[in-house]
Amino acid sequence: MWNLNQRDLDNLDCSGSFLHFHPAASFVRTELCVWGCQVSPGGSGSDQTVVDSLALLSAHGLDQLLGSWLLETLQMRLSSCVVPEFWSGLKQPENEVEERDRAWVLLTAFRTLLDRLDPFLGGLERLRTWQAEGRCSPCGTKPGGLQDRAFTIIRALLLFSPSPVLQERVLEFYSRTFSVYMNQEGEAEDGGDAADGPEGGVCPGCSIQMGQCWCREALEQLQELSHILSKLQLLEWVSSKAVTFILHKLIEQRMEQHCRGEYERSFLLEFQEWLELVLGWLSKVFASEADRDPPSVPSVPSVPSTPSVQDGQPSSPILKQWRCHMHQFFCRIYVNMRIDELFSIIRDFPESKAAIEDLKFCLERTNQRQQLLTSLKSAFESRLLHPGVHTSDILTVYISAIKALRELDPSMVILQVACQPIRKYLRTREDTVRQIVAGLTGDAEGCTDLASELSRGDPVTLEMQESDEEGNDPEDWTPDPTDAVPDKTGSKRRSSDIISLLVSIYGSKDIFIDEYRAVLADRLLHQLNYNTAREIRNVELLKLRFGESHMHYCEVMLKDMADSRRINSNIREEESRLGEDEQPPLSLSAIILSSEFWPTLKEEKLELPPVVCQAMEDYTHRYEKLKAMRTLSWKPHLGSVTLDVELEDRTLTHLTVSPIHAAIILHFQDKSSWTLEELSVKLGAPKELVHRKLALWQQHGVLREEAGGRYYVVERGSSKEKMERSVMLIDSDEERDSNTTTQSEQREEKLQLFWAYIQAMLTNLDSMTLDRIHSMLRMFVATGPVVTEMDVNELEAFLQRKVREHQLMMSAGVYRLPKSN
Amino acid sequence: MKVKIRQWNGVASWLWVANDENCGICRMPFNGCCPDCKVPGDDCPLVWGQCSHCFHMHCILKWLNSQQVQQQCPMCRQEWKFKE
Repeated sequence: MWNLNQRDLDNLDCSGSFLHFHPAASFVRTELCVWGCQVSPGGSGSDQTVVDSLALLSAHGLDQLLGSWLLETLQMRLSSCVVPEFWSGLKQPENEVEERDRAWVLLTAFRTLLDRLDPFLGGLERLRTWQAEGRCSPCGTKPGGLQDRAFTIIRALLLFSPSPVLQERVLEFYSRTFSVYMNQEGEAEDGGDAADGPEGGVCPGCSIQMGQCWCREALEQLQELSHILSKLQLLEWVSSKAVTFILHKLIEQRMEQHCRGEYERSFLLEFQEWLELVLGWLSKVFASEADRDPPSVPSVPSVPSTPSVQDGQPSSPILKQWRCHMHQFFCRIYVNMRIDELFSIIRDFPESKAAIEDLKFCLERTNQRQQLLTSLKSAFESRLLHPGVHTSDILTVYISAIKALRELDPSMVILQVACQPIRKYLRTREDTVRQIVAGLTGDAEGCTDLASELSRGDPVTLEMQESDEEGNDPEDWTPDPTDAVPDKTGSKRRSSDIISLLVSIYGSKDIFIDEYRAVLADRLLHQLNYNTAREIRNVELLKLRFGESHMHYCEVMLKDMADSRRINSNIREEESRLGEDEQPPLSLSAIILSSEFWPTLKEEKLELPPVVCQAMEDYTHRYEKLKAMRTLSWKPHLGSVTLDVELEDRTLTHLTVSPIHAAIILHFQDKSSWTLEELSVKLGAPKELVHRKLALWQQHGVLREEAGGRYYVVERGSSKEKMERSVMLIDSDEERDSNTTTQSEQREEKLQLFWAYIQAMLTNLDSMTLDRIHSMLRMFVATGPVVTEMDVNELEAFLQRKVREHQLMMSAGVYRLPKSN
Repeated sequence: MKVKIRQWNGVASWLWVANDENCGICRMPFNGCCPDCKVPGDDCPLVWGQCSHCFHMHCILKWLNSQQVQQQCPMCRQEWKFKE
């Protein structure tokens, strides 16, 4: 190297002075011409002459001019004839119909291009070898420099103003060879794919008649084209765009066909295999590039230096790069599609697990979380959160969303963010709590997830969530994703437990426990037997979740049931010891409640017929004997009655009705016709209620209403079919009233209780801010099950109402009582 | 028409026959239970003194145990004697 450089310097010196020598200059020109004739196209002359000329040039230090001379000639030749010829050749057959011919034209154009440029390439190669041998230094710089410059000139001139024809043709040609290739490979690998092709008489590869199939030809053409392009170092420039386009389109197409709407299968492996197949085609497209690549320096200028180490890998860097690209395409396209479908995927969740796992894999490789969040949120809002959807359906989707999204994103951030609208919306629905509780106890139809979730409940993990995660290894800590909602709770509170998530919709579990108590009370009171096995199980499970103390009231309720049964059998026994004539006329059993522990039961007035009252009195007496200093207070409107109605021509047996129904029909036993008013007075119940309750007996065909608002007993059934029809209606019309007061009534009561406290506080402290009142209430008001926690907003609304009612004054953010009336 | 009642399932709540609502010691309702108990009724009975005041049994026992000198009814300060 040193030698060469030293000589270069010398030559430079000499040539500087030499060129000014006039006579010698003409000599140099001659020598160049001789040499040029040899090197440039059309030249003739033996190797020996050239070598001699070179030696002479070198001797005069003019060898440096060779490079620039060659480049200049190349440039001139290119712009004057080669490039125009290429373009016109490409466009020449104007309205070529046959695709096959178009491919041929494309190839021919490139062939001619190569033919024209070949001599220059030869010359360049020769210069390179000379330089390597140290015979001359044509351009003075590094060995590859001249060649690079030549190729740059070719690219620049050829593609300076490319006509769209080229791209079209290349694209078409590549698409065709792709389908041919995939067809052949597919045939080789699995026969099923190609089976539909042949009998149609159309080659599946080139989609023309079998007889004229040019698959093989196309592949050969592809190989040749790739070869030419890589020789001219045009491959990247001409093909990449087309290849990218084709890959995009095909992956998209295939995905549409195979994956859309199909969530139960994982497509990753399938696509992996398919992509490998595609890679085979790519290796054909970039074949010569790949062959040539490894030994030389990165010869494709457009390739950004890839840092990856490819030792022992059969595939060349360029193929590796394309493989990378393809995976990226694939992931991106797949994620896009799945994001569109995410709502449906969530809806079908346990079945669509495969799709979720695929999505998770791909999502980690693309940066589309934000897109996913936005799209999912809007899907929820438009498809789920509107008045037409039943609350239980919203809950079902929410539950699947929890399950699905915790698979997708274990950090639970997506879940937290995307489901925010659902939680917000559920808060506005009145029956949310009841639906959740019904789900928990397994009463809700269709929604069995919650019940099984409850029974699956793992108290250990629940404990973990509540404790401060001290046990966790700090090494395992991972930061939240960047899109996490910054809140004080942090990742600790983002629990994935379905029930805690549902319960936390309202921010407090007391509401749920109250609601559960109400549901439990309903169930127990509507039960005829004292069988509480299922309720006991539920309460035990809930205890694991919410803690003993919260479920204490429910336990007492269940114990009441057991006690009632014991007392009943006691009393029964006592009765059986009585004489025949002293037997009570009515078989009465009772559910005896510990009133403090049951939810507030609705008070309704109802006067029962004397015979029932008598039985109840007797029962009370026996109870008082059994339990000293205790007595019973009956709730006449609650309970159930089983009775038979005997009419002249028919008997209705084993009807189970409510006490008021029974009371009504018992009155008709004494007197066969009543007006609504009379009945209402007799029963001590409002007319509307009595009217409503009469409907049952009308449906049974026992009573009928006649003009003047009188009701009569129908002793003889007028027609059979009428009866049948009415019997059908009973169930649909029999409403099952809840015996407990509703949520809002309880809330109202609770607020009224608070009002006493607030008044007292304001009397003593004069004026207070909202927050102060809130914290004081929390501090002082014992939180039993009735007095549930109340949030600030609710309190504010309540106080505002009081302000409107002039019971309170508010100014500058503080509340005070109005000056003494 | 004849109505035959096979079975009447009524609902009632029990309550102590006492002259007050709440226990004078723990201020909890008589029909509930004292703060130490979980289950009302048989497990947390009431007792009456001769002064006719009544309390949760557990409450008054605790009270009496804490009295050093004389055992008095916490309401009327008469000497506490259980009513037979």
